[in-house]
Amino acid sequence: MKQDKKMIVCFLTPALIFFFGIFVYPICRTLVMSFFKVEAISDPASLWKFVGISNYVTLANTTIFRVAMLNMMKIWLFGGIAVLAIALLFAVILTSGVRFKSFYRAVVYIPNIINAVAISTMWINYIYNKRFGLLHTVFKAIGADKLAKLDYMNGDIKFVTLLIAFCFGSVGYYMLIFMSGIEQLPQDIYEAATIDGANKVKQFSMITLPLLRNVFKTCLTFWSIGVVGFFVWSQMWSAPLASESSTITPFIYMYNLAFGTTGNSARDGGMAAAVGVVMTIVVLLAFLLINVGIKNDDYEL
Amino acid sequence: MNKLKKKSKRADSSVAPNQLKLLPGHIIVGLWVLFTIVMLVWITGASLSTSPEIMRGQVFKFESGLHFENYARAWKANSISTYFMNSLLYATCTMVGTVLVSAPAAYVLARNVFKGNAPIKTGLVAAMSIPQIMIVLPLFSMAVHMGVSSSKIVLILLYIGMQVPYTTTFLITFFSQLSHVYEEAAAIDGCSPMKTFWVIMLPLAQPGIVTVSIFIFMGIWNEYFMSLIFAASERNMSVGPGLKSILTAMQYTGDWGGLFAAVVIVFLPTLLLFLALSKTIISGITNGGVKG
Repeated sequence: MKQDKKMIVCFLTPALIFFFGIFVYPICRTLVMSFFKVEAISDPASLWKFVGISNYVTLANTTIFRVAMLNMMKIWLFGGIAVLAIALLFAVILTSGVRFKSFYRAVVYIPNIINAVAISTMWINYIYNKRFGLLHTVFKAIGADKLAKLDYMNGDIKFVTLLIAFCFGSVGYYMLIFMSGIEQLPQDIYEAATIDGANKVKQFSMITLPLLRNVFKTCLTFWSIGVVGFFVWSQMWSAPLASESSTITPFIYMYNLAFGTTGNSARDGGMAAAVGVVMTIVVLLAFLLINVGIKNDDYEL
Repeated sequence: MNKLKKKSKRADSSVAPNQLKLLPGHIIVGLWVLFTIVMLVWITGASLSTSPEIMRGQVFKFESGLHFENYARAWKANSISTYFMNSLLYATCTMVGTVLVSAPAAYVLARNVFKGNAPIKTGLVAAMSIPQIMIVLPLFSMAVHMGVSSSKIVLILLYIGMQVPYTTTFLITFFSQLSHVYEEAAAIDGCSPMKTFWVIMLPLAQPGIVTVSIFIFMGIWNEYFMSLIFAASERNMSVGPGLKSILTAMQYTGDWGGLFAAVVIVFLPTLLLFLALSKTIISGITNGGVKG
């Protein structure tokens, strides 16, 4: 027994040190910092000035932050619908007995394992290039001159092109989760349904979808965490100018507040911390909504 | 895990393999797959062409031959070699470090009953959902005060810490699936519990450790944000921010061939790793749940 205790302490301590050093302490400090006026984030706590909730009030009245939140909500909603719908469709197709299943599955997943900077470089400099890009070439070939001349990296369309590229890369992961969910469903239900005369569409909507409720929950949770962390894609799409309202997200806004941007040295650590707290609350709210909105299924499978 | 495989096999065989009926499915997924392949092949083609050829849209004619010197230029002049080696170092050290920290912890959490076991597990799961922006400011401030805001070791330690919750949670499931028989036999032979772990249990958990190591490697190779903040100097930069700085420089040099060669150099390691181990990786994702 004594040996066991020694082992528990020895084996657990390193992990706990990392856990407290990297998560617990920083979370608390960020929370406290958000109620203070802090200029540089590396300022010692003695230089902080308590300002109550004024950072949050300022944040709520900052147009650029509201734009960033709105962009994030748009990515979450439109991107989420598109990604989960396509992922589910692909999962259904790939589990329906098609040949080359593992080949398809692997290729659809490939964008997930490639560095986001590399994959967005491919999109920006190949697919969307207005001189020799894929879209340009295809539209020119079919005679859609107007579309061929479009500049995909400017104006309102920029947000759309960013969203498409991001969603394209996300589908594979959710497809894998849906596929494993579908493959775990018992086949006898489908056999019974077929005997009862239910067609494939009816089987999908009456059996597959309800039974995949928990899988949906998992996917929505991961999607929400992913969207809050939306950073590198946005930075890639606004490459020349440090922050553009068309593609800014709260994460980018916080980064600019904390570390400054080129040509703008104004920094505000307290505000940046407040952004972090707001985003954490957003994640918690999302969890709550997902768990209340989608009840656990009680089917024993 | 085996049960799952059996089930999926049954699912495959119970459906009539009439591929003609499944043609719409083939077309939909096929087009998507084709697009992905076209993209990768074009980039590879462009990385072997010259800038004027790329501009004219004649990437696959190779009129002036294959330009492997693009790679040499990207590797040396654009200092992709430095970023590449840095990322390799970060990914490898984080992989080894995280497993050394997480595996013992996961073992104890999976096997031993003690006060605090459940709260620790919950804490680890909660940590996985905390956005990075919530923890990065104090970490940066700590690093500045210790005078190490741009150092390779600090970045590796941060990476290890950030990987611990996921890795530990993943390995807990793995250890709890192992039979108790091994430990009982070892105890009878007079082997201490700690030694039993290193000599018997850790090797038994090898499949899980391999899978999670691949995830860590890929995750760190593709990591962007932490590296941007904690490895800002060119000497310490990893491939993500490094490639972005090459991209910015490219707008002045117009070296498209070199840029696409750099892109290929950055994505090749993870792509090859995935192609070689796609079965392990995919089953790890679908069984272990989290992370891409």
